[in-house]
Amino acid sequence: MSMDLNSLKEHYLRCVRCGQCRAVCPVFAGIGNETAAPRGKVFLAHMLAAGELKADAEIAHNLSLCLLCRACTRECPSAVPVHKIITAARSLLAREVPNTLQKIIFKEIWSRSSLLNISARLLRGCQNLGLTVLGRSMGMLPPALDLVGKLPRRPARSFISEVTRPEGAPRIKVGYFLGCATNLMFPHVARSTVAVLSLLGCEVITPRELKCCGLPQEENGQMDVAESLARSNFAAFQRLGSKAIVTDCASCFAALKDSSAFKDIEIMDLFQLLNGLLPGHNLKKIDRAITYHDPCHLAKAQGITAAPRELLTRICPGFREMPGANSCCGGGGSFMLYHYNTSMGILDKKISAIKETGAKIVTTSCPSCTMQIRHGLAKQGLPIPVIHPVELLAQTLGIIF
Amino acid sequence: MDSQRLGNELKKILPPGRVLTSSLERKMYSYDSSFHARFRSFVPDAVTLPRSTAEVAEIMRFASNNNIPVVPRGAGSGETCGCLAVRGGIVLDLSGWDTIEEVDAANMQVIVRPGVVHYILNEHLAGFGLFFPPDPGSTRMCTIGGMVANNSSGLRAVKYGTTEQYVLGLEVVLPDGRVITTGGTNCRALKNVSGLNLTKLFVGSEGTLGVITRIRLRVWPRPRARGIVMAVFGSLDEAPAAVLDVYQSGILPSGIEILDSSAIQAVNMYKPEINLPAAEAILLFEVDGNPAGVEWEGQKIVEITGKRALSVEWATDSQRMADLWRGRGVVAVAAARLRPDGSRIFAGEDISVPLSRVTEALRRIKELGREFGVAVVNYGHIGDGNVHTAPVINLENSDEVARANGLVDAIHRLAIELHGSTTGEHGVGAVRNQYALAEHGEAVNVMKRLKETLDPGNIMNPGKLLPPGEE
Ligand SMILES: Cc1cc2nc3c(=O)[nH]c(=O)nc-3n(C[C@H](O)[C@H](O)[C@H](O)COP(=O)(O)OP(=O)(O)OC[C@H]3O[C@@H](n4cnc5c(N)ncnc54)[C@H](O)[C@@H]3O)c2cc1C
Ligand code: SF4
Ligand code: SF4
Repeated sequence: MSMDLNSLKEHYLRCVRCGQCRAVCPVFAGIGNETAAPRGKVFLAHMLAAGELKADAEIAHNLSLCLLCRACTRECPSAVPVHKIITAARSLLAREVPNTLQKIIFKEIWSRSSLLNISARLLRGCQNLGLTVLGRSMGMLPPALDLVGKLPRRPARSFISEVTRPEGAPRIKVGYFLGCATNLMFPHVARSTVAVLSLLGCEVITPRELKCCGLPQEENGQMDVAESLARSNFAAFQRLGSKAIVTDCASCFAALKDSSAFKDIEIMDLFQLLNGLLPGHNLKKIDRAITYHDPCHLAKAQGITAAPRELLTRICPGFREMPGANSCCGGGGSFMLYHYNTSMGILDKKISAIKETGAKIVTTSCPSCTMQIRHGLAKQGLPIPVIHPVELLAQTLGIIF
Repeated sequence: MDSQRLGNELKKILPPGRVLTSSLERKMYSYDSSFHARFRSFVPDAVTLPRSTAEVAEIMRFASNNNIPVVPRGAGSGETCGCLAVRGGIVLDLSGWDTIEEVDAANMQVIVRPGVVHYILNEHLAGFGLFFPPDPGSTRMCTIGGMVANNSSGLRAVKYGTTEQYVLGLEVVLPDGRVITTGGTNCRALKNVSGLNLTKLFVGSEGTLGVITRIRLRVWPRPRARGIVMAVFGSLDEAPAAVLDVYQSGILPSGIEILDSSAIQAVNMYKPEINLPAAEAILLFEVDGNPAGVEWEGQKIVEITGKRALSVEWATDSQRMADLWRGRGVVAVAAARLRPDGSRIFAGEDISVPLSRVTEALRRIKELGREFGVAVVNYGHIGDGNVHTAPVINLENSDEVARANGLVDAIHRLAIELHGSTTGEHGVGAVRNQYALAEHGEAVNVMKRLKETLDPGNIMNPGKLLPPGEE
C-alpha cells in the first residue's frame, strides 16, 4: 500500500496524455472540461513531483475531484495506474497542505474504533432529536449527511461472536473481515453473511479487535495510518489462525487485496466462495425482478463481475441487467461529502438506468454505493430497496433472524 | 491584454463557469499528446467553453477586434500541438459541445456539433444500422470536430478513406465572427458540385481558417460480417509483395496492418502469452462486408499469401479474431515496455510513403534508430503506406531527448525523400510546419494567400500548418 509519488515516477512518465481515460471518468463526464480529466490529474501529480507546481488548496481541490473508481486505470492503454498516482499525490498534499477537516475525520475518528462508535452514537442521537435537520438548515452540516440514513440501534460487533460454528459438518474455516460501515450502518448484512456462511458449513472467525480497512485514510492521503491499520488487522487474523478471509464489503475487499500486509493469508472473493458452496442446498427462489450495481471496488479494482451475477441468477430468475451497471454511482466514499452536486449528477444517471430495468429490488455489495443509491431513489420517491446479495441469499436459504 | 482583464471580458460573453482563468486551470490546457508539448508549456491566457454558434461568433468578434489569438480544441488527443496556444490567447474547448443533432437515416447522413466523440457517434449510429467509417486509434476520445480539422483516418482507410470523403457540409465561424455554411445552406443532398468546394478547404485546415461548429456527415450501412487473416513472413520484402498480390487479385481488404520484427519482439516481451511467431513480418488483413463475400475473400487471401508466407490463418470466430488481433492491439503499449525506464513518444510517428517503398522505409527507420541510439518499434497501415514508428526513450535523460529529436527530424526527411509525406494521419500543427516548403514548394504561397484572405489578422490558431514565422 506504500505509495510515495516519486516511487511512481516511471508510471506517470509513461502517460502519453492521449486522453483515452476521458472516455470513462464519471467526474469528467459531470464537469466536462480538462481540469477534471484523469489525464489532467496525472499531469498535476507529475508537475507536483517535479516541483513545477507548488502544493496549494487549488491543486488539492482538483485532486479531490476523483472517486478513485479506477475506471481510468482499467481503460488506460499505457497501463498507467492513475488511481494510485492520484492517491500518492493526495498523500503529498496531505503532508504539505493539511486539511484539518479531512484529517480529523480520517485520521482521528475512522482509525480508532472507540471514537468511531461514539461518533456514530452521537449522530444517531442527533437524528433522534431531529438535530441533523436543524444543523443543516443552519448550514452547519453538509447535505450529504442525509446519505447516512438512520443508524441502526446496535452495531454488528455486539451480536457477532468471535467464532461462529458451522451448522452441520464443518467444510472450511474462514476469517470474516467486518468493515466499519457494515458494522455500524448495515449490521443486518454482517448478520446475513455470517449466518449464510455458517449454514453452508464454514467456521467463521471475526476477530474482536478489527479496525478500519484503511481505504478511507488511503484515499485521503493518510498512507501511514492506512498501513498501520492493515498491519494490525493482519495480526488479528493471525492470532486466530485464519488462512483465508472473506468480506461482504467491496471497498474493504479492494483494500485487503491491495495491501501488502496480508502475507500468507488468502483474500477470497465472497461470491465465488458462495457459488462453490451452494450446490446441494435447497433455494426458495425470489420471484421479483432484481438488478445489480457493480461497485467500482469490486468490478474495476478486482475485475469481479461474473461471480455476483452467477449467484443472483441462481437465486432469482427475474434478474435484469441495468445499462451501465459497471458505471460508478458517484458515491466514492468521502467524495460525496466534498462534492455533493457533482456526485448527485453522476447518481442521476444510475437512477435512470435502474428505472429502465423496472426492477423492484436493487442489489450491490458496497455500503457506500448502497447509501448513495438509496439516497438517489429516495430523492425521486421510488420505493425500491437497495440490499446486499447475501441478504437475498439468506432469505432463499430460509434463514430467519 | 493581461490574462485577468481578458477573463473578465470573456465572462461578459459566456455564462458563469464557462471561462477558466486561474493559472492552474490554464496550465491544464498546455498539453496535447505530442512529444513536443512535454518540453514546452503553451499556457493559454484564457480557456472558454462555448456551447453555441452565437457564443463562438461573439468570442471571435471580440478576439478579432482586439487582435487576440484563438485556438480551437477538441479532446486534445492530437500529436502535433495543434490545439495548443503556442502564441497565447484564448482556447475554445469545444469537447463539451457534444450534441448529435439529427440522424437523417432516410438521407444517409448525420448532423453533429463538434464535441461529439467518435465512438459515441458510432454507438449511436449502430442503432440505425449505420456507421461513420473513418476509425482513428483515438476513437475513445477524439472529437468529430478534431477529426474534421485534422482530416483523420484509421486502419480501415484502405477501403473507407479519410474523414474528408464523408463531410458533406460544415458550419464555420470565420475569424471575424461571420458564420458560413459550406456544402449548401439548406442542402441535404449527397452530391453537390456547385461552387468552389469550401468544405474541402476547411477539412484538414487544423483550426487555422475558422471554427467548425456544426458538421454534416455522410454515413454508410454497417457491414454484416468480418474476418481476419494473419500471415507470417520470413522476409520483410515478402510482406508488401503479398499485399500487392492481394490487390491484384481484385480484393480490397478493409485494413492491412504490418508488425515488423521490432514490433513482434516488443509484443512477445510485453505479453509472452500472445506468443507471436518470431518472424521478420506479420500481416493482418481484415475483410468486411456480407458473410458470403467475407468468406470468399478471406479464403482467397489465404491462398494468395500462402505462396509467400511461412504460415497463414483465417478466422471469423470473434474470439479467434480477437486473439489474432491482440498483437496489433497491444503493440503501442508493448513499445513503452521495451525498457523499464522507457516511455513511448509521439513524434515522427505517422509518415506515409508510396506502397512500393514501405519496406525500404521500415529498414531505413531501423537503421536511423541505431544511428541515433534510440530504440524504435515499427508497425503501421501497410495497405496505404502509413508507417507508425514508436521511439522509446527515457524522458528524463536530456541527451536521449536530443537524440530522439534528431531521429524524428531524420524520419520526416526520409519520408520526403521517399516521395511520401511527413504525416499520413496526425497533421502538421506546430511540429511539421518546418517541412511545409520541402513538401509543397510554391503551393505553400497559395496556402498563405488563402490564409491571409480568410484571416487577415492571423488570429486563428497562429503558428501552425504554415512555415514558422511565415503566415
Ligand atoms: C493514441 C492515439 C491514437 C491516434 N490514432 C490516430 C489515428 O489512427 N488516425 C488519426 O488520424 N489520428 C490519430 N490520432 C491523432 C488524433 O487523435 C486525431 O488527429 C484526432 O482527430 C484529434 O481530435 P481531437 O478532438 O483530439 O482534436 P485536438 O487534438 O483537440 O485538435 C486537433 C486539431 O484540430 C483543431 N480543431 C479541433 N476542433 C476544431 C473545431 N471544432 N474547429 C476547428 N478546428 C478544430 C485544433 O485546433 C487542432 O489543430 C491518435 C492520437 C492518439 C493519442
Ligand atoms: S492515463 Fe493513460 S489513458 Fe489517460 S492520458 Fe495517460 S496514457 Fe492516456
Ligand atoms: S479513478 Fe474514477 S473518478 Fe478518479 S480520475 Fe479515474 S475515472 Fe475519474
